[in-house]
Amino acid sequence: MSVGSKTIRFTLNGEAVGAEVPPHWNLVELLQNRFGLYGARESCGQGLCGCCTALVDGRAVSGCLYLAALADGTRVETVEQPAAGGGLDAVQKAFIECGAFQCGFCTPGFVLMSRKLLDENPDPTEDDIRHYLSGNLCRCATYPEIIEAVKLAARLRKKRDATADKRR
Amino acid sequence: MKAKTAQTGTVGQAIPRTEGSAKVTGRAEYVHNLQLPGMLYGKIHRSTIAHGRIRRVDTTAAQALEGVHRVVTGEDIRAAVSDPHYGPAFHDQPILAFEKVRYAGEPVAVVLATDPHVAEEAAARIVVEYEELPAVFDEVEAMTSKAVVHEVLKPAGTFPDLKHLQGRRNTNVALDYRLRRGDVEAAFKKADHVFEHTFRTQQVLHVPLEPFVTVVEPGESGVTIHTSSQSPSFVRIEIARLLGWPENRIRVKVPYLGGGFGAKLYIKLEALVTVLALITRRPVKIALTMEEQFYTITKHAATLRIKSGVTKDGRITARACEVWWNGGAYADIGPRVTQKSGFTAPGPYDIEHVHIDSYALYTNLPPAGALRGFGIPQLVWAYEGHTDMIARALKMDPVEFRRRNLLVNGRPQATGTVMKDAAIDTVLERAAARMEWGKPCDPGTGTIRRGRGIAIGFKASISPTTSVAIVNLYADGSCALYCGTVDMGQGSDTAMAQIVSEILGVPIGSVTVVHPDTDVTPYDMATLGSRSTYHMGHAVRLAAEDARDKLMALTREVGLSAETAPIRDVFRKKYGMQAGNIVGTGTFIPTYTPTDHDTGQSANVTPFWMIGATGAEVEVDTETGQVRVTRLVNVADAGTPINPRIVETQLSGAAIMQLGFTLSEKMEFSAGQCTNASLAAYRIPGMLDIPPGIENEAVESAERGGPFGAKGVGETGTFGVSPAIASAIEDAVGVRLMSLPITPEAVFRALRAKQGNPLKDN
Amino acid sequence: MIPFELVEPRTLREAASLLASGDPAVRPLAGGTAVMLMMKMGVLRPARLVSLRAVERRCSEIREADGELRLGAMVTLSALERSPIVKNLAPVIVRASRTLSNVRVRNVATVGGHLAHADPHMDLPPVLIALGASVTTVDPEGGRTIPLETLYAGYLETALRSNELIAEVSVPVQGVRRAAYLKCTTRSADDWPALGVAVVLDTEGDAVREARIVVSAATDTPTRLSAAEEALRGARADEKILRRAGEAAAAAANVVGDEHGSAAYKRELLRVYLARAVKQALASKG
Repeated sequence: MSVGSKTIRFTLNGEAVGAEVPPHWNLVELLQNRFGLYGARESCGQGLCGCCTALVDGRAVSGCLYLAALADGTRVETVEQPAAGGGLDAVQKAFIECGAFQCGFCTPGFVLMSRKLLDENPDPTEDDIRHYLSGNLCRCATYPEIIEAVKLAARLRKKRDATADKRR
Repeated sequence: MKAKTAQTGTVGQAIPRTEGSAKVTGRAEYVHNLQLPGMLYGKIHRSTIAHGRIRRVDTTAAQALEGVHRVVTGEDIRAAVSDPHYGPAFHDQPILAFEKVRYAGEPVAVVLATDPHVAEEAAARIVVEYEELPAVFDEVEAMTSKAVVHEVLKPAGTFPDLKHLQGRRNTNVALDYRLRRGDVEAAFKKADHVFEHTFRTQQVLHVPLEPFVTVVEPGESGVTIHTSSQSPSFVRIEIARLLGWPENRIRVKVPYLGGGFGAKLYIKLEALVTVLALITRRPVKIALTMEEQFYTITKHAATLRIKSGVTKDGRITARACEVWWNGGAYADIGPRVTQKSGFTAPGPYDIEHVHIDSYALYTNLPPAGALRGFGIPQLVWAYEGHTDMIARALKMDPVEFRRRNLLVNGRPQATGTVMKDAAIDTVLERAAARMEWGKPCDPGTGTIRRGRGIAIGFKASISPTTSVAIVNLYADGSCALYCGTVDMGQGSDTAMAQIVSEILGVPIGSVTVVHPDTDVTPYDMATLGSRSTYHMGHAVRLAAEDARDKLMALTREVGLSAETAPIRDVFRKKYGMQAGNIVGTGTFIPTYTPTDHDTGQSANVTPFWMIGATGAEVEVDTETGQVRVTRLVNVADAGTPINPRIVETQLSGAAIMQLGFTLSEKMEFSAGQCTNASLAAYRIPGMLDIPPGIENEAVESAERGGPFGAKGVGETGTFGVSPAIASAIEDAVGVRLMSLPITPEAVFRALRAKQGNPLKDN
Repeated sequence: MIPFELVEPRTLREAASLLASGDPAVRPLAGGTAVMLMMKMGVLRPARLVSLRAVERRCSEIREADGELRLGAMVTLSALERSPIVKNLAPVIVRASRTLSNVRVRNVATVGGHLAHADPHMDLPPVLIALGASVTTVDPEGGRTIPLETLYAGYLETALRSNELIAEVSVPVQGVRRAAYLKCTTRSADDWPALGVAVVLDTEGDAVREARIVVSAATDTPTRLSAAEEALRGARADEKILRRAGEAAAAAANVVGDEHGSAAYKRELLRVYLARAVKQALASKG
């Protein structure tokens, strides 16, 4: 069952990388087995829970439903990607500040999705947040805290942008 | 960080969780992340029938597949382990089925391969021939069914109240728990009114997002088991028993858990993976899929019949409860659910005459165990529905009716144990106040009708159980806490570190919590039943106090001033350099009086009580039966919280989980086969399902027996949710639902039946 | 999952010729979400997957031509959701997209894959059928145009041949027509629907001139409800007419029961949701 492995090249968290992948591997297997990255993790296996979220060419995808071979030539980002300037980004800080996680298994997915939401919509309403994050499940049901964290992250990002503008 | 510790004031503060950074960067450690050199992956072949004899297991095609290392069957396990049955209450569950299968989904064989895809493909090629046997699925039918799940009962011996079942044959009753207090029959005769209702709850699933996973490394003299377990000490002791080894040859390590909720208790994959590692002499990993979780452990479906005698002025004088718990094919901790929950079946009410029969039943369904409440949510569903229905029949306000009957401190509960530090009345009043119960509620208009409901439940803690902790103070004043409590998301690492920080007077950042590793961390019964804050919290407090006392003694010994000398100076003076340790230990076991077998009476049945009330406001669409919960108010007696924010998150999380069990979640079966074993078909609540208004409150309270006045809270938020919603629906549209879940169709059918125009299926 | 060959042709025509006719082990792969799910469940065991990812760029274009909205088969659902052209020409599609599956699925799932999968729980087929859309296909010899209404042959079955691929969807612009899509989920908000109803109305004053109504999810295929359309034709959609349309729909539709609800219940839902969808369409600006 090892036929047809293929060498792919892509950018992983800002670094050019290559890997040999069997055709039936998904993106989660690629990240875990070839790069030791476990932040994207398979849970429901059906693209419903968001635990396996990764960004491919800037778009959030379910890693469990994404063939690894199709990552060839793309730009892949995971939750392990350090924030610009190192340390934690606004979303991560807000999640800690608001206690927006419990067991933490779904947290990387929520962090990445929240980041994308704020990239697309810097000032989301609560309804926007609920809809955008409706495809991520948290069995500990830390939903109210996550909503608060996204709101806080939006404020933190604005403050950061305002500071950056002033410096310019 | 002076030798004489000043209180840091850490306890009682809503400090952020200590593991936050690891979790938001995806770097937190889970067993899931573990891959070892030379590791084999196991994939399980499962029974396709609910009950039958295994005629033949044909592994030829599986074994022939390129890349397969080995196929292991139940007979292979038996050759390696003389009696391969495990379980906390009964030694009834085989590591792999042999001779018989007792539920659809039961593990029958395992394929091992270095490539998990190969193992999966090969497992699908195993062919098993069965001789089907009659099966039983319903818990009430199981009482008298000719289909018997186990030939003979084999109690584990750990629980004295199961000993009388040893060797019993031709029965599916795994425990017949009874409580007798006063004379209910006479009281029913005297009562002005007698009410009787039967309620049902459905089988549901924990759904931790990290499915069960175990990795076992065989070593020269023993094994190391890395497992997603809530009970590392139990795993060690039970594996030692199965193998006939001393405990010291088995090392169990547990990092963070991606959720547990009672699923990851006792033995799940650990026995199987250990034996596979011993047979192959290779590290072995089995990581279940989400689907396989549906075949592993579930929550009991139950039928509950409850009957009350009531005076015309609204005093409950007598209550009889009969509860049938559907335990599935293996007892797991079901008998504990039957007993521990059984004795609170009459609810938090002061009732003179009580009669309880609670039965644990075997059926041919996936096994049921503990799920966030140990049976309490099922009981509250029944007794609070019943209570509301009585209040309505008596035309009394449901809160007022409860007030008249509430169990207060100083009065005996049904077991005879006198209530203490149980803020039942405060919890009810705070919930009513937040709901503005005294003011009328907007009934809605047109096709949208509004209503509200309130419900209250209580729970005893599991008893008597032991926790041991060690605090290791380093020479620079930082320290480690060796603690067997598993942080599965409830925030125990943070709370325990707060206790150490408070007592030693060191900053929280100077306290490392060492995760369960049975070679390092001392014994703890398990992380379950909201016991850790109280039991382990006490042990941690004692260990920290022991370390503090030893530090004081050392300070005196070296002639320094405890008032001014930093901790590091004390060590330097003693050892001439930064060296040495101070080790403090703490062991805690609360007092307990066993219940009498015939009457269920005990003077001291629990170290503490948990109390939870929920108020719900709903909108019901009268044209479709859809229910929207618009507000959920969760009030609890959690003692004095160590960390108020974590307590609030626990309450809210538990209530939302129970919201799923109330409105949507249900395992569906066809001939014993679960037909919705995926998150696409078994829906858990998401962001769009949670009420716009969720409020949580831990009332002012103190548990005098608890560390810093604290007690457990992990389950409390679940208690009142289901009956509060059912009562709110009745308030809105006048129909009472008696079975969970309350689906839109169930509400619609009830509405049509009420209109005298029942929905016809054709 | 078992290994397979993954090929990435550069044109749709080449892709079609790679799909050797009649071999169920050779399948096209667009966004891949449904294909991956079927492979994981073991119901699809392909020997070869023909990825459409690298086909002509125009297959990923959204444009206006000949008074129609043209959607390339490889347009992702999120591109659809964000497209100003779609918002302008057929706003009902944008509204329906917001609750379609989830963001990650919409980011990769394609219009062509969504339509060709023929799962009756999908949201766009009823909307596009109600708008009067058709699909243009490509096969090794040429291609054809199929009204979307006739594409569906049964549960997960279409009229497409195994070497025939959807190239483009043509949607008559919504224009002054008023439209709504409502779906009803019975277990969680994000569940597959128990019922979907799409309504597109030509109106004159407050009367309905022509109605196109399509039910999905409760039936094996998305189905036009002509009897209900007839009941609305030329009428003012008051409660009486809506009730009549609902009755006609419930009587005519071949509603099937499943884990989302019994057939009897879903028929009741159909009555209610049909009326609500008509009202919402009439209340909408487009």
